[in-house]
Amino acid sequence: MTDPLVTVDGLEKYYYENDTLLDRLTGAEPEAVRAVDGVSFDVREGETLGVVGESGCGKSTLAETLMRLREPTGGSVTFDGDPVFELSGGDMDAFRRRAQVMFQDPFSSLDPRMTAGEIITEPLAIHDVGTAAERRERAETLLEEVGLSADQIDRYPHEFSGGQRQRIGFARALAIDPEFVVLDEPVSALDVSVQAQVLNLLADMQAERDLTYLFIAHDLSVVRHISDRVAVMYLGEIVEIGPTEEIFEDPQHPYTKALLESVPRADTDERDRVVETIRGDVPSPRDPPSGCSFRTRCPELIQPPWLDAPQAAFREISEFRTRIENGDIDVDTRWERVGDPDREDRAAFVDALREEAFDEDLPDNDEETVREAIRALADGDREAAAATLRERYRSPCEAIDPALPAGNHPDACLRNEQPADVEAAREEWEADHDAPEVGASSR
Amino acid sequence: MTDLLRVRDLSTRFFTEEGQINAVENVSFTVEAGSVLGVVGESGSGKSVTGLSLIDLVESPGKITSGEVWYNNADLAERVEGDRPEAVDGDFVDLRRLSEAERRSLRGSAFSMIFQDPMSSFNPSITVGEQIAEAAEVQRRASANPRSTRSRTQGYGLGRMLLDGALPDRSYTSEESWDRAVELLERVGIPDPAERAEEYPHQFSGGMLQRAMIAQALAGDPDLLVADEPTTALDVTIQAQILDLLADLQETMEMSVVLITHNLGVIARVADRVSVMYAGEVVERGTLTDVFDRPVHPYTKGLLGSVPDIDRPGERLEPIAGNVPDLVDANMPDRCYFADRCPKAMTDCLTRLPEYEVSDSHRARCVLAEREYSEADAVPAERLARPTDGGATGDDGSTASDESAAPDAEVSDD
Repeated sequence: MTDPLVTVDGLEKYYYENDTLLDRLTGAEPEAVRAVDGVSFDVREGETLGVVGESGCGKSTLAETLMRLREPTGGSVTFDGDPVFELSGGDMDAFRRRAQVMFQDPFSSLDPRMTAGEIITEPLAIHDVGTAAERRERAETLLEEVGLSADQIDRYPHEFSGGQRQRIGFARALAIDPEFVVLDEPVSALDVSVQAQVLNLLADMQAERDLTYLFIAHDLSVVRHISDRVAVMYLGEIVEIGPTEEIFEDPQHPYTKALLESVPRADTDERDRVVETIRGDVPSPRDPPSGCSFRTRCPELIQPPWLDAPQAAFREISEFRTRIENGDIDVDTRWERVGDPDREDRAAFVDALREEAFDEDLPDNDEETVREAIRALADGDREAAAATLRERYRSPCEAIDPALPAGNHPDACLRNEQPADVEAAREEWEADHDAPEVGASSR
Repeated sequence: MTDLLRVRDLSTRFFTEEGQINAVENVSFTVEAGSVLGVVGESGSGKSVTGLSLIDLVESPGKITSGEVWYNNADLAERVEGDRPEAVDGDFVDLRRLSEAERRSLRGSAFSMIFQDPMSSFNPSITVGEQIAEAAEVQRRASANPRSTRSRTQGYGLGRMLLDGALPDRSYTSEESWDRAVELLERVGIPDPAERAEEYPHQFSGGMLQRAMIAQALAGDPDLLVADEPTTALDVTIQAQILDLLADLQETMEMSVVLITHNLGVIARVADRVSVMYAGEVVERGTLTDVFDRPVHPYTKGLLGSVPDIDRPGERLEPIAGNVPDLVDANMPDRCYFADRCPKAMTDCLTRLPEYEVSDSHRARCVLAEREYSEADAVPAERLARPTDGGATGDDGSTASDESAAPDAEVSDD
């Protein structure tokens, strides 16, 4: 674990929608899907860096952009001192020889019309290594090394099982003798018993050939098993990165904690383990939340300095506010349920919605503010309702975008240590927002 | 605890061009009322087909060839007894001996199923609420006339069909069933159910859609819910939510659940009893503690040893060598199906073995339940490394990491 072999700095990959010629002529604003949104990290020589995250968090796009299989929209990647995005010609070929990829799906990542031997020797042929006979010999050795037999060289992919196909994909990645291999979900399509075989193979080959791995997976147990360091991604950003032991034993970011909690253990004590599930779904990368991207699901959302409500109550109020702001609460059906066609019985409406939206008891002040917002809602004034709640319950998490500080085990959460500029922004924010008076705007 | 379902020697076969495939072979298990049975196995082990067989959803070329499925329902037993006394035993009714129509009338009200991929299980062109309301409507019409097995097709005659074609409307739902749909959506934890019911499947996230599918399955208030890999397509944080929901529903609605999954962690989280399947057979079954803490069958041990432990990392994994065999009848060896991959194969294993009783609640299809492993009886490696009859080639995919003696099992077609 010494020098960084790969340095990724502020890597961005946006996909644009509404960006066709027609859209441009009609003047439609292109809409960015922020698949990878400013990611920085190092991969050190000889280590395995695991990248985990839920589907849609951008981990595969990260791998593909990093290997320059997709053109980045921002940032840079340095491989052993060379800027990958600026290489061309012979230098690019050299980079391609030193860095290889193995893909997730054993069924679609191998050409069905090529034999195992052709698949494995293709990178050698492209880079013009050896004669045909030498390449074939190399393929035979590789097949043996990855746990298949040399006589299977003339078989086609459909004659192999999923685990065997992943071995072929791995042999192909190793054919050119790379130093760095990106493994994109290499075992997630496999059954557990076969998955274990492939994981052991990956570990053996790394030890034998001093490989550096970037290991992408959604299965946390697998990542813990194979990685030296782990990066946790959420919505296109790294929220925490550090040595595997520390990430798993002492997670700092609320998302990492929630993710670790959620994994069911194959153990008879599992039933009694209390799991605090996080609510809701991952937001769309088309329209990520302002500030901290995890704040819409975060169980540890920071309260504004003037507030001291129970955390659970604060969360429910925040969720209720989001629903009002998004227009998810249909006032008409609520009135129907109250059964007052003239819409005069505001108290009944307020009681009903208060009951529906909250499980928690609220402190008196907060109860009053919430009811005030619901009264505005009853009058059909969604804006006023949202404003009432926004005034009192705005969290620093929605205003300030946390960043990943330097260090061995940093995390992007405002609760923890943050870079100086983020800290400064937060102080400024707190100075700008004073405690609102309770009930000041009530009618 | 009373039993809800007793399955005896159930076999399901598929008659394909490549030959007869024994997807489920002589499977027996019991589902207790109000409990969760976990069925675990790798792909191709027959666990999904077992689930489908329970509620008679196996389609051609598949066929349930033998077996009994005893369902505990006093009302049904009383009703059936007159016509078919042989199908009734006390309060139990053998579903395999009922008519097709009678079995169909139990779907939804007695048994219900949820599937793995919520995205492809819904019709994309009909609102979610309507699809759930339709299920509720079917049950409503059926309960209006419980004795008629035809009741669920009532009102859907040819005339109605033509009329609907000409004048499409919401005739498959009614106001009551729509209200019921909203109520069900609320029950499974969908916020703003009345509004969400009006939306189409693509407007739901995967987790939400899985909840909606559970709501649909609950429309008939079933006794038994068969959940086939309900969380496999979901992220872990969403998986945790869905497992919580299932446990909660199971408790409050006093339903039994058959949970089919390949994930041992999911089993450990929710199951009371476990059946481990391999190559179409249940190789071991018992309570969760029996199977997880005192496994007898080497396959069960291997499965448990293959899972990286998130709390105890660093240990080298001990995978099972080789691959899952294919299930083509002609290629199935006439001995323990696991013997070829088994680290403890003995000469006894060269015959087909019965299920042995380990304890009252615990059974295993392995001689190790009866006797200790002894080196002297070990099967010589060459007898096992030999390919199964049927002309498969003799290559073997063995390596240092694979251990030797792994037959390169026939390649499965996917």
